[in-house]
Amino acid sequence: MEGPVDNPQQGIEPCAGEPTHSEDGVDLTLIRWMLSMTPAERLDTLQNTVRSIVRIRTLRLHGAGPEP
Amino acid sequence: MAPDPSPDFVTILRVLLEHEVHFIVVGGVCGVLHGAPIATFDLDIVHSRTAENVGRLLAALEALNGRYRGQGQRQLKPQQSHLSSSGHQLLITDAGPPDLLGVIGGGLTYQDLLSRTTEMEVGSGAKVRVLNLDVLIGIKEELGQEKDKAVLPIVRRTLEESRKKSQSDCGSPGAT
Repeated sequence: MEGPVDNPQQGIEPCAGEPTHSEDGVDLTLIRWMLSMTPAERLDTLQNTVRSIVRIRTLRLHGAGPEP
Repeated sequence: MAPDPSPDFVTILRVLLEHEVHFIVVGGVCGVLHGAPIATFDLDIVHSRTAENVGRLLAALEALNGRYRGQGQRQLKPQQSHLSSSGHQLLITDAGPPDLLGVIGGGLTYQDLLSRTTEMEVGSGAKVRVLNLDVLIGIKEELGQEKDKAVLPIVRRTLEESRKKSQSDCGSPGAT
């Protein structure tokens, strides 16, 4: 059977020959996702990530966010 | 309303390019441009320290309202002598924090690194020189700093995956 297999206990299994993590625990799916983008898109993604982190931090500073 | 405190890397890069500053993107943003899924809050660049380029860099920093970080209310602006040195100038601008590095690793200058870079488009046709990922890894390994240890495995795997991808589809998107 080809393609991902839905397993409610373990999540979605990877495609054959495509490990999701390296031996040292790095999430390879995130890397492949980033590599599917152009450098400009990667920079946009970083920009959006940092903006989200700053927003969450600002909310917490103002007491509107969840407790750590 | 308070200004957005998020760094705007694209704006800093665009202003540097508009002022024809010669520089190489290194550090975390370099890793991201190569495809590493990491977050960073500052933009590290190594700049050419010729008098002409330092002059252009000063003009770009003036446009960005660049000044030294961590100086409280003091608005200390970098001078020609600072940017001509091999030191690291940790600045803040209206578009976020750039770190201007005279040298990196064991004293590598802009000229030393230039042949080990790739030109990448970062939007609207703007192209910047980015340090090659294997060189970035080598420098971080050599320095062996704690802050780099968490990121190094991700950057190493990114290089591996990128090479696999290049073999299967002849190059990552946007790289020239």
